[in-house]
Amino acid sequence: MGRFRALLSAIAIGMALATLALRAQDPAARPFVVRENVGLPAVDEGVLADDSHAPNTIEARRRAAVAAVLQSDGIGSSGARYARGRVIVKFRDGVSVAARQRAIASASDSGTMAVRPSYANFDIVNIDASEDAEETARALSDSGDVEYAQPAYRVHATFVPNDPLYKSSATFTPGQWNLPLIGLEAAWDIQPQAGSTITVAIVDTGIAYMNATITADLKAFTDDRGVRYPALGPVTIPYSAASQLVQPGRIVAPRDFIWNNTQALDFDGHGTHVAGTVGQLTNDGIGTAGVAFNVKLMPVKVLDSVWDDILGAPNFGTDAEVARGIRYAADNGANIINMSLGRTGPPNTAPAVEDAIRYAVGKGVFIVIAAGNGFEDGNPREIIAEIASRVPGAVSVASVDRNATSGDHKCTGGAGSPMCHAYYSTSGSYIELAAPGGSERGFGRNGLIWQQTFDFNFVETYLLPPSAFRAPRFDVHAYVGYIGTSMAAPHVAGVAAMLMQQGIKDPAAIEAALERFAIDLGAPGRDDLYGFGLVDARNTLRGLGIAR
Amino acid sequence: MLMGFDLRVLRGESALRGTAFAAALLLLAAAVPAAAQTTTAGLSLRPMVLVDQQLFAAMETFKAVFGQSSQTLWGGGLNVTHNDRIYVEVSASQFKKTGERAFVNNGQAFRLGIPLTATVTPLEITGGLRFHPRGQRPPRFSARRPAPSRFVPYVGGGIGLYQYRETSGFSLPGEDVETRHAGAILEGGVEVRLHRWFGVAADVHYTHVPGILGAGGISKDEGEKDLGGIAGRFKVIVGR
Repeated sequence: MGRFRALLSAIAIGMALATLALRAQDPAARPFVVRENVGLPAVDEGVLADDSHAPNTIEARRRAAVAAVLQSDGIGSSGARYARGRVIVKFRDGVSVAARQRAIASASDSGTMAVRPSYANFDIVNIDASEDAEETARALSDSGDVEYAQPAYRVHATFVPNDPLYKSSATFTPGQWNLPLIGLEAAWDIQPQAGSTITVAIVDTGIAYMNATITADLKAFTDDRGVRYPALGPVTIPYSAASQLVQPGRIVAPRDFIWNNTQALDFDGHGTHVAGTVGQLTNDGIGTAGVAFNVKLMPVKVLDSVWDDILGAPNFGTDAEVARGIRYAADNGANIINMSLGRTGPPNTAPAVEDAIRYAVGKGVFIVIAAGNGFEDGNPREIIAEIASRVPGAVSVASVDRNATSGDHKCTGGAGSPMCHAYYSTSGSYIELAAPGGSERGFGRNGLIWQQTFDFNFVETYLLPPSAFRAPRFDVHAYVGYIGTSMAAPHVAGVAAMLMQQGIKDPAAIEAALERFAIDLGAPGRDDLYGFGLVDARNTLRGLGIAR
Repeated sequence: MLMGFDLRVLRGESALRGTAFAAALLLLAAAVPAAAQTTTAGLSLRPMVLVDQQLFAAMETFKAVFGQSSQTLWGGGLNVTHNDRIYVEVSASQFKKTGERAFVNNGQAFRLGIPLTATVTPLEITGGLRFHPRGQRPPRFSARRPAPSRFVPYVGGGIGLYQYRETSGFSLPGEDVETRHAGAILEGGVEVRLHRWFGVAADVHYTHVPGILGAGGISKDEGEKDLGGIAGRFKVIVGR
């Protein structure tokens, strides 16, 4: 096996170098090339006990800081980050080209209309990077020809990774407490097909869904501390499909709105982990289980990772990319969209995303949105999750921790009924459901949500000192613990897929069923911590009888 | 002697169907000699079979599970008249049908494909008055008894014991339902004498059955607490 692997490696590297040589003669070459299906299966490292993901760790903040430097975002008056140099604008129907130009000219000295991007019902107006995008958007909105205008607010995954507190643990049990917690064992009896006719779009950082060899020219960059990382020049980056996620016919219509192509490769690990919770291969005696383990998966990449930024991606994860991703998924056969992403900001400042969500729901797509992880950071309003509360057929999902497992207690915080609200999970009037998102506090690693994704020791090399900096490897996979509402949302997406497989197609009815059969937690009825309560797969799929 | 059999038996399960029909014929055959021993002047014991098309008061609940809120009950019983003026009737019937578990959202039912079998077995006793319109009563000084009326309206009321059973797929212990509760009855109709030993009757039969529905399931969501309803009943009566 070792010799075979070495031979294949040599062939792959040879092809990669040949490609690099050819591409080097092309002055318009992209920063990297993906040779699809030229690569080896992943190295499976099993459970990665010393690498978990939790909010507000040093690593998480470093990763965000490096990304912020690479992305050079603008900061709006509300503190919300936006991509410089562009504004999203939707003109009213029938407005002439000349009138559009006049409106742009009156709002910005440098504004020019870009070619309308695919899967968008809005336009992008390019402005000078030094201009205040919020001010330009306000000026555009004042025009009678404009339906709405907004900055391209930055959207991020709703988890923050890597808590080093767990590295010292000597024992580790990768129990997926989160799945029986929502009644899945009984639900699988009811719905053993587990969503085989349903397509779930993972609108996220992409998915590790193919074996490939990437050749790239890694240029120098400076991190958030001002440390200069050297150029590595032409490098070969191995990339492998997540073995517990991919099987023939499972991946449909991938699309990348960060790189504008059809590959949607995950360079972060978040999307792969989320996809695992939705539909990790199950009952195969390997690794972990997923909720709706037979669904088809549609990777839709709308979030950029640090490696996307280092490689020089043309787009960032903003409202524009998210809106386009939603529309793409709806137009290409997705039945359910999972959005483990979000952003904060002033209310009602994401009309492009809301428009796209309403469009998708109108086409029969059920949408699940993570509620956000900012509870201990001032509990800011989550703008995208808030949209869900206004749209029947879209739900926002908060997170519970492992306390929710102790019998049928209601997490009221009283004696014998400890709170099960995950400490980071954003609360608010827009919270509609809760699902397991995990927490390390009081539970250690046993409180995390485990799925297969990259071994971050081989990916996050930009967190190492410059002397140790090296090209990433995306072919070494492991079972990694994450926490966050990002992890809660895919539980709901999976249950929705099973319900849809059972014949309930109407997104509003799916939302109603999930909320009707949720286990009420906290204060009686809907509340701001848990919404209508903890999603209950078994009772949702089983419905009601006449008298019981 | 009472008889009850269900719609599914009649429709699909041929062996049981044959047995049920045989039992019905035996009942009728036995009834004729019994009735022959009675007269309209005294007690008349009259076996009967009945079919009951009931519109359940829990309309939305039954519609969600079965697709329609009107269901058929089959049964039989014994009708006793005294001087053809008053009657007491004891009957048993049964509704049994398999539908699907469901939930209702904004008035629309969404069925989930999980079988649910409901069985309603009413055991009822009613009594009331029978009428002989337009001078059909015997003249006071006549030595000859006039022919009895061909049409005999009747009204009455009574009580019933209603057994309810609900079984579903993927139930855990204790999740299926088996319960019973008393209910009240009002009824009115007309009997038509087709032959000296044979008649038919049609009536409207109202039942109110609290205490079974409304505590859980769709009936709770829909606020429907009455297992009764209004039924049109057709009876075949053997005897004078």
